[in-house]
Amino acid sequence: MSQKHFSSFIFASLLLVFATFSAQAEPVINQPAPLFSAATADGKTLNLADLHGKTVILEWTNHECPFVKKHYESGNIPNLQKQAAAQGVVWLQIISSAAGKQGFVDGETAKKVNAERGATPANTVFDPEGTIGKLYAATNTPQFFIINPEGVLLYKGAIDSIPSADQTDIAKAENYISEALVELAAGKSISKNTTKPYGCTVKYAS
Amino acid sequence: MTMKILHVLFIALLMGSMSFTTQAADSFAATDQVKVQLIASVDGVHSGDEILVGVQQLIIPHWHTYWKNSGDSGLPTTIDYELPKGATVSDILWPVPEHITLGPVTNYGYSHEVILLSKLKIPSDAVIGSAFAVKAKVKWLVCKEECIPQEADLQLDLPVLSAGVEGGHGSPLIANALAALPLDSPWQFSLHAKGEQLLLNAKGLAQRATFIKKIQFYPDEWGKVVHSAAQIQSVDGDSLQLQLKSGDAPLTQDAVLSGILAVTKETGNGSITRGYSVTVPLTAAPVSDSKDTAADLVLSSALLLALLGGLILNLMPCVFPVLSIKALSLIQHADKDPLHTRLHGWAYTAGIQLSFLLLGVLLIALKSGGAEIGWGFQFQSPLFVLLVAYLMFAVGLSLSGVFTIGGSIMGVGSNLANRSGYSGSFFTGVLASIVATPCTAPFMGAALGFALTQPPLIQIAVLQSLGFGLALPYLLLSHWPSLQRRLPKPGLWMERLKQGFAFPMYAASVWLVWVLAQQAGINAVAVALAGMVAIAFAAWLYEATKLSATTARFSGASVASVFLLVALLGGIVAINTLAATAQPDNVVSHDQHWEAYSAARLKELRAAGKPVFVNFTAAWCISCLVNEKVALSQQTVIDTFKNGGITYLKGDWTNRDAEITHILADFDRSGVPLYLFYPAGTAEKPVILPQILTPEIVTQTVSAIQAVAVINQ
Repeated sequence: MSQKHFSSFIFASLLLVFATFSAQAEPVINQPAPLFSAATADGKTLNLADLHGKTVILEWTNHECPFVKKHYESGNIPNLQKQAAAQGVVWLQIISSAAGKQGFVDGETAKKVNAERGATPANTVFDPEGTIGKLYAATNTPQFFIINPEGVLLYKGAIDSIPSADQTDIAKAENYISEALVELAAGKSISKNTTKPYGCTVKYAS
Repeated sequence: MTMKILHVLFIALLMGSMSFTTQAADSFAATDQVKVQLIASVDGVHSGDEILVGVQQLIIPHWHTYWKNSGDSGLPTTIDYELPKGATVSDILWPVPEHITLGPVTNYGYSHEVILLSKLKIPSDAVIGSAFAVKAKVKWLVCKEECIPQEADLQLDLPVLSAGVEGGHGSPLIANALAALPLDSPWQFSLHAKGEQLLLNAKGLAQRATFIKKIQFYPDEWGKVVHSAAQIQSVDGDSLQLQLKSGDAPLTQDAVLSGILAVTKETGNGSITRGYSVTVPLTAAPVSDSKDTAADLVLSSALLLALLGGLILNLMPCVFPVLSIKALSLIQHADKDPLHTRLHGWAYTAGIQLSFLLLGVLLIALKSGGAEIGWGFQFQSPLFVLLVAYLMFAVGLSLSGVFTIGGSIMGVGSNLANRSGYSGSFFTGVLASIVATPCTAPFMGAALGFALTQPPLIQIAVLQSLGFGLALPYLLLSHWPSLQRRLPKPGLWMERLKQGFAFPMYAASVWLVWVLAQQAGINAVAVALAGMVAIAFAAWLYEATKLSATTARFSGASVASVFLLVALLGGIVAINTLAATAQPDNVVSHDQHWEAYSAARLKELRAAGKPVFVNFTAAWCISCLVNEKVALSQQTVIDTFKNGGITYLKGDWTNRDAEITHILADFDRSGVPLYLFYPAGTAEKPVILPQILTPEIVTQTVSAIQAVAVINQ
């Protein structure tokens, strides 16, 4: 090991040391989004790091939650999923419901539920331990996070501006996800990057 | 005729259906979970009156509805009043909510019963003798684990009375509802920002602190304050201070924080909670505002603590051998050339200071715009653990004499005597900085916590002070011939000692591999050990061929490099994969005298007024493990906990854990260990114990505080 290599090794180590000093408790906008790896509905394992190079939308969901139903039955989320897919954005549903709690499903059921409601996410990620949910401090279903191709968190919050379980409010509301997709497609930054999420509490194993 | 009958029938039907709708819009309605009732403060109204109307919700056990700020999830109840023309109604006057937690999620709402009042102004042209119809469309979300949105249409008809006729007492529930509303605060509030914290001061509240069981601030709006963050209290003179954590939509300077301060007092028969309205602008902290919290240090003491922390770092099991070897090399130089010796001391110091400067700059860069650091730098990185394990092992091999770097890189490894290159000393300093960092040494916690909330220059100053503390012993030795003379005479024993010091290094790498096992599972251990074999082989090959002919030396060095590369890259790739899939296993030992920490459990125990001892620890933190072994696992301590009815909670921070990071930040710490003791009953802030524990420190602190708590009650 030459002196130069040794120095760069030391430098790398120091970087790592400092990664520990600067750790944040929750994901912060314009900071690297936490990585995870978990089982998916198609029976495989998804590693977020593998999606480096693509914009990723994380949608915390629970198909039995009335707020989630509002946005699926109205076609709002299915439309957003199509809009995302059309511009090459990877849409991941994440289910953090613990085993036996509302919204907890197996891969087959997840696929069936999505087929029934015309949903076309890129994949569904299972997080029954709540590890990913807690990593992102996800509290609601639905709740959204948008990560850019470099792995940096760009958005966290609600689907739209009117917190209610009433489908008729969707048309009146400002749709934050749709706006974000438009802004991203135009190469702009997301103007409202943090909004108040609303919905059902994520059913963590408590 | 038939036409007439049909006509009459039609009218009858119409009237029938009309009366049916009136009945449906009753003043009562019920779902499976909630009974709602529209009530008023009077039985009849006069034109121009201001009355109170409200909706009572009776909620079945375990379910709840929400306050105007529902917290992390949920939805506030809404009431849309439809009133005769000219009448006006106020927003809901919200009673003091409850704090409801579900796992990591905090909600503000109501269980069992709540009455949501509004003020209603009757128009001055209300016709005497007519019915004043109050219609209310009530929408609410009721949740237990699952949530159900519900709504009801309610109607209450109040006769419009002529002046002089008594309006009556209305619903008896109104009085209860008024009693549950927040009061104007008798205390003067002020609000200052400190890093990520918001410090809410209530002047005058502390005088009554002994009767107070619990204090909770409920912010009116989402995003101003992190709902789930612990609200740490402290007392400064007659002010009581609550430490809140700034949320996702933080307050700007002079913006107003509003909410309710709920104060629960202990009385003869049970506890009573009263809410007080808070409306306070965020202002700059007064200059003279020196606080009494342990971590709120003034710069000079932070620097001093950092210096002390640095000094103590020298005694860390991994650092000590490195330094002792370095110190021993002085013996050789001592008599020959004092200047030479001093320059070595300064080169070593420079190595350390530069490392810490680099750390400081990186820290600031990370804090100010971490995006450029990029993808993959993870908290409590197993990769870092692996690399340090390798480094320790390599240093150990070098001490054992398996290889010596011909040049001058590792001042520790090669022959001690003829060390002319100052770069050797310099890199020993760098090495010492690295091996010292995995664990927060005593005194460092508070100093680093302080540093992280300060402007860049102060951060760097604190880190530099820490580094100087680390460098100081050797620097002094190099400058003080009389100290050098106290060192024993050189001889073969030095070589033996050097070889002996290899073993703490091996032990350190064993410990790191054990940490790795906790983080990334058993396969990571295999990867790490295989990597070490490769490193050992590379070292041996390098050494064996070092003095051979050029070709042999070249091929030896190349093969050695390949092996080293395999060890490093293979380790990095494998550990990243393994760590991502590793599941933390919660092995519970049969004689365990502690419980796993969770914010909810702590809250529950505190709410019950039980004393709690909290230990935040991590497998990679050596002082944590030592404290657990020599103090917290001792029978005297276990007995003290048991006899005092103290619950011992242990929070494991080995891997990233947002909940614990939160708590640490609440105490201005950036790392473990952190020991907290919450005495029984009172709502006082916890006592922070020192970072080095003995059984006596724990038992005496606990007993003393328990005694005080009893007196105060």
